Amino acid sequence: MLAALHRLPTWLRFALYASVGVLVLAIAESFESGGVGRLTADTASRAMLKWCIPILLAGLGGLFSERASIVNIGLEGMMILGTWFGAWAALEFSPWMGLVFGVLGGALGGLIHAVATVSFGVDHVISGVAINIMAPGVTTFLSSEVFGNRTQSPDVPGLGEVDVPVLAGGTFFGAETPDILGSIADQGVFFVSDLASFARGLVSGIAIFSLIALALVPLSGWFLWKTRAGLQLRSAGEYPLAGESLGVNVIRRMYLGVVVSGALAGLGGAFIAMELTGFYQNGQTGGRGFIGLAALIFGNWRPLGILAAAFLFGYPFGVSLRDLDGQSTHALLLVVSFCLAVVSLWAATARRLVDAVMALVFAVVMFAWYVQTDVAPDWLPNAMPYVIVLLVLVFAAQRLRAPAFDGQIYRRGAT
Amino acid sequence: MVLAIELIDITKRFPGVLANDRVNLRVELGEIHAIVGENGAGKSTLMKILYGMQPPDEGKMLVNGTEVDFKSPTEAIEAGIGMVHQHVMLADNLTVLENVILGSEPTKSFGRIDFESAAQHLREVSHAYGLDIEPNDLVETLEVGERQRVEIIKVLFRGAKILILDEPTAVLVPQEVEQLHHNLRELKAQGSTILVINHKLPEVLDIADTITVLRQGRTVGEVKASDVTAGDLAELMVGSELPSPETTESTVTDDVALSLRGVTVLNEEDRPVVDDVDLVIHRGEIVGIAGVEGNGQGELIGAIMGTEHVETGTLELMGQDITKWSVRQRREAGVGLVPQDRHEEGLLLTAPLWENAALGHQTQRPYAKGWWIDRAASRAHTQTIRKRFGVKTPNVDVAAHALSGGNQQKLIIGREMTADPKILVLAHPTRGIDVGAQASVWQKIRDARADGLATMLISADLEELIGLSDTILVMLRGKLVAKLDPANVTPRQLGSYMTGAAIETDGNGSADGGAE
Ligand SMILES: Nc1ncnc2c1ncn2[C@@H]1O[C@H](COP(=O)(O)OP(=O)(O)OP(=O)(O)O)[C@@H](O)[C@H]1O
Ligand SMILES: [Mg+2]
Repeated sequence: MLAALHRLPTWLRFALYASVGVLVLAIAESFESGGVGRLTADTASRAMLKWCIPILLAGLGGLFSERASIVNIGLEGMMILGTWFGAWAALEFSPWMGLVFGVLGGALGGLIHAVATVSFGVDHVISGVAINIMAPGVTTFLSSEVFGNRTQSPDVPGLGEVDVPVLAGGTFFGAETPDILGSIADQGVFFVSDLASFARGLVSGIAIFSLIALALVPLSGWFLWKTRAGLQLRSAGEYPLAGESLGVNVIRRMYLGVVVSGALAGLGGAFIAMELTGFYQNGQTGGRGFIGLAALIFGNWRPLGILAAAFLFGYPFGVSLRDLDGQSTHALLLVVSFCLAVVSLWAATARRLVDAVMALVFAVVMFAWYVQTDVAPDWLPNAMPYVIVLLVLVFAAQRLRAPAFDGQIYRRGAT
Repeated sequence: MVLAIELIDITKRFPGVLANDRVNLRVELGEIHAIVGENGAGKSTLMKILYGMQPPDEGKMLVNGTEVDFKSPTEAIEAGIGMVHQHVMLADNLTVLENVILGSEPTKSFGRIDFESAAQHLREVSHAYGLDIEPNDLVETLEVGERQRVEIIKVLFRGAKILILDEPTAVLVPQEVEQLHHNLRELKAQGSTILVINHKLPEVLDIADTITVLRQGRTVGEVKASDVTAGDLAELMVGSELPSPETTESTVTDDVALSLRGVTVLNEEDRPVVDDVDLVIHRGEIVGIAGVEGNGQGELIGAIMGTEHVETGTLELMGQDITKWSVRQRREAGVGLVPQDRHEEGLLLTAPLWENAALGHQTQRPYAKGWWIDRAASRAHTQTIRKRFGVKTPNVDVAAHALSGGNQQKLIIGREMTADPKILVLAHPTRGIDVGAQASVWQKIRDARADGLATMLISADLEELIGLSDTILVMLRGKLVAKLDPANVTPRQLGSYMTGAAIETDGNGSADGGAE
C-alpha cells in the first residue's frame, strides 16, 4: 500500500496526507464540548499558514548550511538580525526594502558564521551560540539608538494580503467572485465542511510575503539538485575531499551555503516583524530558529519535508492563537495520543516490539493527560516540535539521512 | 624525444618527515610508467604534487616540455592530467553520475546541469573501456571494486591524456586486474601516458614499460620492465628477497575457538546475504574465505563482530554463546578485526595515532585504567606497535591521515595483533603494504597461529589466501559452497570456484558446504 502511495505525484500525495490530517482533527474536535469547529476552522489554517513561514524559512536556511556541512545553530540569531533590519528598512524606506534588508541582516550573520567556521575552523556549535548571544545585544543597541526605545519599534507596514478569487471570494479585476469553499464550509457536513473551511483558510488572506517564502521551496530544491553550484555545495556536505580533488572550490561553496542560510533566516525574521506582529520587538523570534532546525531534521534535509514539518509545527501556534480558553489546544493532546497509537501499531507490524511498547506507553500517557485536564498549558505549541522530533529520532532515525560531513571541520590539504 | 612529464629535484617536507628528497622522474609520452617503493617512500606525495593537490617545497615540474606550477587540481586537469587516489574519494549519498561530473559539469542556461548529455557521455566512456556502471546508482550501494571503476571513469570522463593511478589494483580481484590492465593498454594505444603505483611486483612487470624506484623519498633507479625480474625489483626497493606466504607445518588443534551454526543475516529487502552458514575455526588454525567481493563476506564479518543482526543461528566463542553479545562484549572477550576498508572502518583520520591505537580496545588495558583513558600507557603501547610493526611516523601524536596508506594499514594490524585476540578476523590484511612489510606481517600471522590464535582470513590476493590458510572455504551468494585444501589448489582453480564456474561443472567439494 505504501508503495502505491509513492507512485502518486508528489502534490497529490501531500494533499492526501493533509486530508487525512484534517479528518483526524475533525474527529478529535467532535469530542471537545466547547470548541466546535475550531481545529478545522479557516482561522486556524490561515494562522497556521502565517506561523509556519518563519519556521519554513529557518528550516530552508538550515538546509543550505547543513547541505554544505556547516551546522547552523546561529539561525536564531540571524533571524533576530532579520527582524530588526527588516523592521527598520520597512519603516525607513518601504515594505519591500524591509524584505531586502531583512535578508541582508541575516546574511551578515551568516557571513560571520562562515568566517568563523569555514575559514578559522571554529566549532560550528560554539560559533552559532556566539551569534545567538551577540545578535540580541546588537539589535537592542540599535533599537535604543534608532527607535529611541530599547525593546520595541513603532508599527511596521507589511506587504499586504490577497485572496484567491472564485475559491475564497476575492475580487477578480474588480468584480466580486463567489466564495465556493466558504459556502461548503457553512453546510456543516462532517469532514467535507471541515475540509472546505480548512482549505479556505489557505487560500484567503494570504500574505504576499508568504507566497514569496513558499516559492522558495521549489526554488531551493531546484538550486540544490539541478544546478552546478548546488551539486558542488551538496558534495561539500557529503565528502569535501572529493570536490577538492576535482578542482572544486569547496571553501567557496561552504561560504555560499552559510551566507544563503543566514539570508533565509533573516527573511524569516523580517516576516515575523512585518507580517506576524507588525512591529519589531525584543525576543520576538521566540526560538523559531531552533524550531527551524527541528523542521530540518523532521524533513530529512529535503525542501518538501521541511515544508511539511513547518505546517505541522506551525499548526499548534495557529490554533492556540485564537484559543483563549485553551480548549482547542487541549484537543490536540488527543490528536497526539492517536498518532502515537498509530506509530505503535506500525512498529508492531514491523516486529519492532520495543518501539511499539514505548509508543503505546506515550500514547496512553497523552490520553490520560487529555482525560484528566480541561485546558492545555500555553507552552504546548512551543514544546511540540521538539517532542515530535524526538519521537522521529526514536522511531525513524534509520530513515533519516543527514549529510555525511555535517558538523565536521574541514581543513584544506589535510588529505 | 618528448617527455610527457619531467620532475626535477622535487622536495617536500612535512613536520618531522622528508617525504620527497630531490626526486627526479622522467616519463615518456605514451608509455606506462610504474613507480614502486616501500611504504612511506613518498610515492603518493609525489603524485599529489604533480596533480596540484600539494605544493612542492622545491623543484621544477615540466608537462609536455613546458614548465608548470599548479596551484590546484583545476589547473592540472586543464593541463590534461587526471588522478585516481590511493583511497577512493567519493560521496556516498550522491549518484555515480553526480560524483563523476563534479567540478566538470556540462551546463545549460542558469547554471543548470545538463544531466542527459552528461549521462550520455558517461555511458560512452564506460562503454569504450568496458567499465560497466549504472550512472544513476547511489555510490553507497556499490562494492569496493565498482567504486574503483567510478574513480577511473572520473578521470577518463575529463579526457585526461596523462593518467595517474595510485594503487588502483589494491582492492581488485585477479580477473578485475586483468580487465584493468587490458583497459590501460588500450588507453596507451590511443596515445595516453599512464603513471601507476603498485606494490604487487608481478603486476608491475606485466603492465609497465619503465619503472622508477623510490626509497626513503629519493629516486634510486629507473629500469626497463623487460630488463628486470620481480626479485631484482624487490632487491632495489627494500633490499630483500621477494617473500612468499607459505605456511609451515600445521598447528591446528582440536579446541574450537569460534563456531557458527546456521547463521543467517538478512539485507534490507529481507533476502539472506549470509545464508545458513556453518563454520568452525580451531585454535591454531587459519580459515581462508574465498569469494568475489559482495558475496556476503562483509556481512559475515559483521555477524561475528556484532554489527549485523543475526536473524537465525548461533555463534559460540570458546564454547560460550555470544549470539546476543554487543560489539563491546565481543571485543573485550578477544574478537579482533582488521577491516577491509581502513578509512571507512579502521581509523579516525583526524585523531592522533595513539587514540587510533586505542580504538576498539578503549575499555581495556593498557589503554584504560578503570573509567579513565591512560594516556601515558596508551602512548607507550603505541610506540611498541610502531616499533614491532615498523609504522613509519615521526611520533605517535600525529593525525592518522598524515601516515602513508601502507603505514596506516600496519598500525591497524599492530593494534589488533598486540591486543592478544582469541580470534582474529583479517580482511585483506596486506592491502597496500610493501613487499618487505608484507613478509613481516605474514610472519607475525604465522607466529600467532603457532601460539594458538584462531584466524579467519579474507583476501583478494589469492596467493596470500592459499599460502597462509589451513582450510579454504568458498563463499558464493551468501553460502559456503566448497571446502578446499590449499595444498592442492592453484589460484586459477580457486578463481573459477569463486565465480561458481567450477562448482557448476564438476560439483567437487561442494559436498559439505562448510567446515567441520
Ligand atoms: N599530510 C601529511 N602530513 C604529514 N606527513 C605526511 C602527510 N602526507 C604524507 N606524509 C608523510 O610523508 C611520507 C610519504 O608518504 P606517502 O603517502 O607519499 O607514501 P607512499 O609512498 O605513498 O606510501 P604507501 O605505499 O604506504 O602508500 C610518509 O612518511 C608520511 O608519513
Ligand atoms: Mg601511497
